[in-house]
Amino acid sequence: MTTLSSHVSSRPIPNPKNSLITKLNAGTGLIVGVVFAVATYNLLKGENEDPGIAYNIHNRALLAAMFMWSIGFLVGIGAFIGPWRWLIGKDLTAEEQLYLAGDGQGIKRYFKYCTDHKVVGIQYLWGVITLLGVGGAMAMMIRTNLAAPGGHFITASVYNSLVGLHGITMIIAMIIVATGPFGNYIMPIMIGAADMAFPRLNALSWWVLFTAIPVLCSAWFLGGIPTGWTAYAPLSIQAGPGMNAFIATIIIFAVSTAVAGSNITATVIAMRAKGMTWNRVPIFVIGATISVALAVPAFPTFMVSMIMTALDRTYMTGFFDANIGGSGWLYAHLFWIMGHPEVYVILIPGVAVLMEIVPVFVRMPLFSYIGAVVGFAGIAGLSILVWAHHMYMSGWMPMLNGPFMVTTEMISIPTGLIFLVMLGTLWHGKPWLKLPMLGVYAFLWNMLVGGITGIYLSDVPADNYLHGSMYVTAHFHYTLMGAALTGAVAGLAYWFPKMTGRMLNERAGYVSFWLIQIGFQVLYLGMFTAGAEGQPRRVVNYASQFATANRISTVGAYLVGTGFVVLLWAVVHSWRHGKIAPMNPWGAKSLEWTVPYPVPLVNFDTPPVVTSDPYGYGKAVK
Amino acid sequence: MSDSTMTGTKRTASAIIAVALGIAVVGSLGLTLHKISADPHGKLYATKESGTINVAGKDYPKATIKLGVYADNAQPKDVGVIEAKVNKQDWVHFGPSTHLVLPANTYITMTIRAYDGGERLNTAYFAKVVGTVGGTMNVDGKDVTSIPDDKVEHTFTLHGIPSQGQDSLFVNIPLMKVEEGDNGFLPTQDPGTGMKGHTVTFSFLTKGKGEYVFNCEYPCGDGTYAKFGAAMSTYGYMSGKVTVA
Amino acid sequence: MSEHNVDLKPTPGDRFTTFLKRKDIRETLAWAAFYTAGFVVLGGVFYTKWMPTSLSTDMKSIERLMVIFTWISAPVCGLVLSIATYTFRHGTRGDVPPEDGPPIRTNFLGVASFGAMAGILTLTAVVYGLIEMNSASEAAAKDAPSALIVEVTGSQWVWSFNYPAQGVSSNELMLPKGQPVIFKIHSVDVNHSFWPVQLGIKADANHFQTTSVTTTPNKLGRLDVKCAELCGLYHAYMETEGAVVEPADFNNWVTQNGGHSA
Ligand SMILES: [Cu+2]
Ligand SMILES: [Cu+2]
Ligand SMILES: [Cu+2]
Repeated sequence: MTTLSSHVSSRPIPNPKNSLITKLNAGTGLIVGVVFAVATYNLLKGENEDPGIAYNIHNRALLAAMFMWSIGFLVGIGAFIGPWRWLIGKDLTAEEQLYLAGDGQGIKRYFKYCTDHKVVGIQYLWGVITLLGVGGAMAMMIRTNLAAPGGHFITASVYNSLVGLHGITMIIAMIIVATGPFGNYIMPIMIGAADMAFPRLNALSWWVLFTAIPVLCSAWFLGGIPTGWTAYAPLSIQAGPGMNAFIATIIIFAVSTAVAGSNITATVIAMRAKGMTWNRVPIFVIGATISVALAVPAFPTFMVSMIMTALDRTYMTGFFDANIGGSGWLYAHLFWIMGHPEVYVILIPGVAVLMEIVPVFVRMPLFSYIGAVVGFAGIAGLSILVWAHHMYMSGWMPMLNGPFMVTTEMISIPTGLIFLVMLGTLWHGKPWLKLPMLGVYAFLWNMLVGGITGIYLSDVPADNYLHGSMYVTAHFHYTLMGAALTGAVAGLAYWFPKMTGRMLNERAGYVSFWLIQIGFQVLYLGMFTAGAEGQPRRVVNYASQFATANRISTVGAYLVGTGFVVLLWAVVHSWRHGKIAPMNPWGAKSLEWTVPYPVPLVNFDTPPVVTSDPYGYGKAVK
Repeated sequence: MSDSTMTGTKRTASAIIAVALGIAVVGSLGLTLHKISADPHGKLYATKESGTINVAGKDYPKATIKLGVYADNAQPKDVGVIEAKVNKQDWVHFGPSTHLVLPANTYITMTIRAYDGGERLNTAYFAKVVGTVGGTMNVDGKDVTSIPDDKVEHTFTLHGIPSQGQDSLFVNIPLMKVEEGDNGFLPTQDPGTGMKGHTVTFSFLTKGKGEYVFNCEYPCGDGTYAKFGAAMSTYGYMSGKVTVA
Repeated sequence: MSEHNVDLKPTPGDRFTTFLKRKDIRETLAWAAFYTAGFVVLGGVFYTKWMPTSLSTDMKSIERLMVIFTWISAPVCGLVLSIATYTFRHGTRGDVPPEDGPPIRTNFLGVASFGAMAGILTLTAVVYGLIEMNSASEAAAKDAPSALIVEVTGSQWVWSFNYPAQGVSSNELMLPKGQPVIFKIHSVDVNHSFWPVQLGIKADANHFQTTSVTTTPNKLGRLDVKCAELCGLYHAYMETEGAVVEPADFNNWVTQNGGHSA
């Protein structure tokens, strides 16, 4: 058994004394960021007689301050030292580069501009946990308010803000939930690489994302947002100052996604170990790559739509204001051209994690590897052709509803392949029912419900009734939470030993798993019923006929919430006190299980050579 | 299987504490949101009057309530606003409170003093008087059923969720703008403050208990899209709640 | 099997029978039957029980569609859940990993039949949806000449209705039974979505363009008109009521509200 102490780096800790980089960290970033923001705001704020112009000026000052916070933070943490050196014709010294990798700097490196992909992975993990915690707490508030009709718990504006900020917080969290922690920490090791293709960009993607979090939270102190996470125009043009926080968050996040996405794609294309041909790449890596490669073209349209919203709010450009020649449909298109691929950006990595898990715990090869790849690629390819199914009722081109219905329902075919791969691997096996494996079963049920209800929603006549109702809310929670988040949690249980050197506490894991999954069914079956009965989504108050369904939902939500607190406890507790993990606790065959914990700075002492895919399980047939 | 550095009891205890802590954190967050959701100016109760009135063959008890619509922060203190809770924004608003409490099954006579200027409605329908006894309102002593849709200052539009298992209630009162020598209606001055405004009086019947809302349909959220942001979209200015108790 | 058959290759029929006799197949099939039946029942009960009374053929066909789609997907549920249940029941617990299973990497017959099934079911759903959609638009075209026109206006947070031919406007939606109606919908501010729940139709109210939608109420009853697009502060309260009434009652309502029967 390889233990904690057996592999501590023997290199001396690099200490480039005179270099500025040794003095910079998140603290200096915070200071510079706040100074930049406050200075910008005070420089740009102003009064005007005309309330419209005053409104524009205020939005300008707030938006600029938010962007300058982000830039200031990055300056303060030293993100631009490398590029600056290039400008003056130099680069970081070798010693400085090694210092940036953070080897041997203990916990401090997590608060620095650290280029080690394993550090970035852990940073992303805690970023995700924070976002899920905040988003989850907001979900509890929403459900508490809806526990009984009347809307007595919170008022309409607070409720609307909760709905929108819960939505966007969770969307951001879910986009990075698997590709952030596992894509950064595990994936490079899985493909036998020493690091990511662009380690400094890797650090940049995390810290850029980090700066978006306070901006997002500031929405609460600026009066919230009335628009939901879809931020439809022209409601977003009418909205108060909180909307600026939403806009800035999306733009900053889109930069982070572009950086992270191109980095992951480049890493997988260029950094695979010798012998790791495309048909030997672990399926998680394939899924994560397809996901980020889909995000790279999708997110810019969201960013553009937000820039246009910002311009409408700051200079009255009128892109989306019909009174001066704009159109709300333009926004809806830009949004959903991102929005539909985006749900698969979230879903695919979660599913890919589970596909990585199934063969290990069933001890059989992944059934139809090609089917899995074709399934992911088919979903990704079709997903860019379906966006207008969110606009069936908008009045835009009713004659195109048919074609969009066809493309949307065709996604069932590659999704079917995903099921086939999972079921085919399970069949003939006697699965080892450990925590990660339970996630696979939860996925099968949740994705089944989410997928089938998706077919109703994609059907134009049925959508006439269901569009904009609670049924939609329940449907996408089944796919995004029931399937994708379940996959990510299973992934955490699976890779926890490699990321922390310890095993995740099993008993707490099981307790949280059952609390979450049972609570989840109660929560969303209640919501499906409310939707079928005709309750619109995003309402602070509702008709008494929906009372029972909503009360049931709220009970379910509390179970889910408790389950996640137990899981959080298990993570924190096991991280510190958990049982020391062996190098390969699950007996898996992929490369990440061949390195010890702590994983050495360059991952492998000698670069590995791959001769087969990691699914070579199975005894000869009798 | 046991973990390496902690006993079972201690572990269970720490898990329970963690769950309790989680509930405490989320609970206090909830309380904070609940607190900021409170009515900024408390509740305004209708005053019960003695005697009853017969409408369509049925006797109703009577109650009255008075509201004002104030441009910017012009609301004088003598209408009952507590200094500390005065609106933080310099916005047009209903006062003294935007949470009205009315008795059930009662003949409510509401008087609104309207001090503001105005223009054209977004939707002409709201220039019509709807839902009052007799379908009329009284402006400065004259009974009318509607006013021109370009002479509207604000509206008092009361509605709810009809399917909520409570009686439906819909009242729409267009308030006339204050203009020099206008429209054949005579704005009067308040004694003391000298503020000039129209007096609009109307009566409607409340039915069973229920929760309703009211808002203004005249676009007065200046500077925002459709003029429906700011004061129009922020609870406690041009919108509020009505509780029939 | 008799003794002289031993040397012969088993025919496909024989192979199928032996396949069916396998214990794992039997248990899985039993589960599949159970789940399929479960979903068939669920589909028949759930939507008919929970969806509101239908006051138009559009609503009726939506309800039927929800039920039939559930039935179409019932065998898929049966397949997925039976395999899941079977393997879960026969899984390994404890700290020792199970032995490796057979190294099956793919199975042409399995993949092909699964793919075919997914394709056929998807095709069925697509074709069914397209047919329903077309009959809806055909009906709309046929209804146009004799239709009642209702102009629907969404204002932040109240619906109002104007009947131009009758010269009536109202905050409640009254419709005569049996007459086709064309809703012309627009918004004076942000996006709303006009949703008369029991009629099974929905259309966004946009500021920049009027949308229209057609239906024929075919039953008397109460209507709930909701807003299905988040439109700001009081979106939840943007709801009104109405009714489908006898034509005579509709005419009375029109005259009572100062209009003239067209
Ligand atoms: Cu979509
Ligand atoms: Cu107003
Ligand atoms: Cu709405």
